[in-house]
Amino acid sequence: MPLHPLSLILGLGLLGCLSTAFNPVHAQDVAVVGATIHTATGDVIPGGTLLVQDGRITAVGAQVEVPQGVEVVDATGMTMIPGMLDNHSHIGFAIGDVNERSTTFTPRYRIMDVLSPDDDYWFEAVNGGVTTIVTGPGSGSVSSGQSAVVKTWGPDWNARILDPTGGLKIAMGAKRPHTGTSMATTSMLREKFTQAREYMASWERWESGDGEGAPPARDLDLDVLAEILRGENRVRAHVHSAHDILSLLRLKDEFGFQLALHHSTEAYKVADEILARGVDVVGLPLFIRIGLREEVMRSPAYLVERGINFAFHTDDPVVMSKHQRYNGAMAMRYGMEGEAALRAMTINAARIAQVDDRVGTLEAGKDADFVIINGPWYELTSRVERVYVDGRLAYHRAVAEEENP
Amino acid sequence: MSRLRTAGFAAGLACIFMSAPAPQAAAQNVAIQGGTVLPISGPAIESGTVLIQGGAITAVGRNVTVPAGTPVVDATGKWVLPGLVDAMSYYGLSGADLNETASPSTPHLRALEAYYPFGAFGDGEPASPPRARDLLMGGVTTHYIAPADATVIGGQGAVLKAAGSTFDDLVMLEPAGMDITLGDRPAATMREAQRSPGTRMAVIGHLRQELVSAREYRERWEAWENRPEADRGPTPSRDLGMEALVRMLRGEMPARIQANRITEIRAALDLAREFGFRLILDSAISATEVADELAAAGVPVVLGPISHPWISGEEIPDRSEYPSPDERRAARLHAAGVEIAIASFSRSFGTLGPEGSGKWLLLDAGLAAGYGLEEAAVLRAITLTPAEILGVEHRVGSLEPGKDGDVVILDGPPLSVLTWVERVFVEGVEVFVRDE
Repeated sequence: MPLHPLSLILGLGLLGCLSTAFNPVHAQDVAVVGATIHTATGDVIPGGTLLVQDGRITAVGAQVEVPQGVEVVDATGMTMIPGMLDNHSHIGFAIGDVNERSTTFTPRYRIMDVLSPDDDYWFEAVNGGVTTIVTGPGSGSVSSGQSAVVKTWGPDWNARILDPTGGLKIAMGAKRPHTGTSMATTSMLREKFTQAREYMASWERWESGDGEGAPPARDLDLDVLAEILRGENRVRAHVHSAHDILSLLRLKDEFGFQLALHHSTEAYKVADEILARGVDVVGLPLFIRIGLREEVMRSPAYLVERGINFAFHTDDPVVMSKHQRYNGAMAMRYGMEGEAALRAMTINAARIAQVDDRVGTLEAGKDADFVIINGPWYELTSRVERVYVDGRLAYHRAVAEEENP
Repeated sequence: MSRLRTAGFAAGLACIFMSAPAPQAAAQNVAIQGGTVLPISGPAIESGTVLIQGGAITAVGRNVTVPAGTPVVDATGKWVLPGLVDAMSYYGLSGADLNETASPSTPHLRALEAYYPFGAFGDGEPASPPRARDLLMGGVTTHYIAPADATVIGGQGAVLKAAGSTFDDLVMLEPAGMDITLGDRPAATMREAQRSPGTRMAVIGHLRQELVSAREYRERWEAWENRPEADRGPTPSRDLGMEALVRMLRGEMPARIQANRITEIRAALDLAREFGFRLILDSAISATEVADELAAAGVPVVLGPISHPWISGEEIPDRSEYPSPDERRAARLHAAGVEIAIASFSRSFGTLGPEGSGKWLLLDAGLAAGYGLEEAAVLRAITLTPAEILGVEHRVGSLEPGKDGDVVILDGPPLSVLTWVERVFVEGVEVFVRDE
């Protein structure tokens, strides 16, 4: 079992009773010494030190002076990587809430409204070293709603939420309700974005006018599309086939929105077209029970070599978020360079989720989210020993296995 | 010109002769030298030799005399293992052929009759000699196939080699088990058709009724056989499904029961005691809760993948059936003395993964090592133990004199994610070489 965040609050609460005044929870100060640190910025520091103060990284390097009184954790012989991200997951809510199948196009829905702070799968994810997740509705309709970017652990639920409306999910392809073909799905999206433009124009007319007459009727779905057209939000698209990827790129050309492709099975077939538009690719989990064809297994390495910003996702429950690390491992097996594979689970993913100012690398100023592993990070035989979120110890294998032998 | 033509003609003749199976026997002698040999049945041998003659292993060790003229394979710096054994897969069965859902029980069906290991029908892959390439690239040389889990009694399974010179060569044991599924998966199939059994309890009730019917069928036939010939009268009518279940009750094949919830594992154990058949549990997600009981009863468990414990046909697991994924279950069962195999339960997933995931059996097993199962036990769980569970341990599962010359050469330590299967031999014939 992971450490329950409430235990921190309760423990400190008791201390508060003993002292004269209640002390608010403070993120830990800690220094981890001796590990081989993969910072995900390109640096690998053997026997390095990571210094954390008040939940933020204040120094990383071979020579770091540790202030007196800071707890020192000896991680000699271990590997340290940044807390991993999972760009596409469905945890934190009842699986029955994943798809509202009676409707086809509902950008107004927000997964944030049904997220539960103590879903077991948050704990599973953090135990596996995944500290930030983009979780969202499914692909059962053309647009199923907005995702959220959330940390997997922490005593304060509100502080865990990095972005409550982190990207609009759309799903390409046939057989969404009321769209029997891919053509119909693409056409519906074009129609909706066209409507959104008209909707924006009618609001602009009303706002720039003398305020006479009633304002245009509010439409919560078109509000979201308007945000996307203004560049304040973005599209995350479920897409597999090359022709659907091309359709999305055409829509992007027409309407100018920020776009990340998700699943992206055939992205390798249209890599030039994707690269030309600077579109991000979130690729299939390689550690999957579907025996993907070898060319698909090799495609992430190819996309990274081409210079595309690429990140892995688990699509939990298809692959569990806690197994994200093994996607990087399989990418290495199929030709991706090690540090690139690590970036595909950390900083690249943070950029796509637009939280790279907070997480994704081990650099001074970033949140102290990191993972200590008892061997090479990519080996299946290596285990996660400790996970820290905001400088707090969120998982400690020795303690967990003592509690549950 | 004429000399060239003659040479061409001679080469043509050679080709005709080469296409007959006989010349392959010549290739069935090989000595694999210099690698780290992991025989499974004994400790590792550094710079060891595996000698195969006439398709069978004749010597394994550090100082093996290789007869002159034997082709030698240099495995210096490599790892040499027996061919892996996948104790449960649906490889070679197309999606449409996995489940016969018109009836809750079809014990007369035989998975072998839908087996098609030649790639997608019509895709131009040569059917002869048969090579299950997607298994071989993962080092799997023996696998069990069965009908899948959408009904209660699916039918009979088979143990097959992943390569041979003819299709007949592939079949090691058939029928090799009666495939049975408890729990909500078969219930859901029948519920959808508005038929019984549509609940967990009805599934078990239905199975018990089938077993009672089989017992009565057996008694009817035995009574007929025991009567003096003059008084016998006409034979009782034959029922091929009942005949197959009687073979299971007689111990001629085991029951392979897929059961995940603790209630269903207990029901399987109860039925095995009540009807006296040999039980092998498949998947058995909750087996750790009755580990001591399983160890005492000698009931082995064929675990699904460590990484993806759900094994039903759904892409997304039904969390009521697979509640608590636990990567440590292999280590826990082993520690309790339960015989375990780690299997792929691989199946075709349309165009994304038509050949299933058997090619990653070794990788998935590596994860069990990360979660506490020692390396020797991990390797045994994908070689000798499944061979024993399947009843083919006299032929495969370890590198020992007398066994089939089924050998895998790895380019690195067996449990590293970066290690690849380089070459595979089945009965001394090289059947797979990795193209880099």
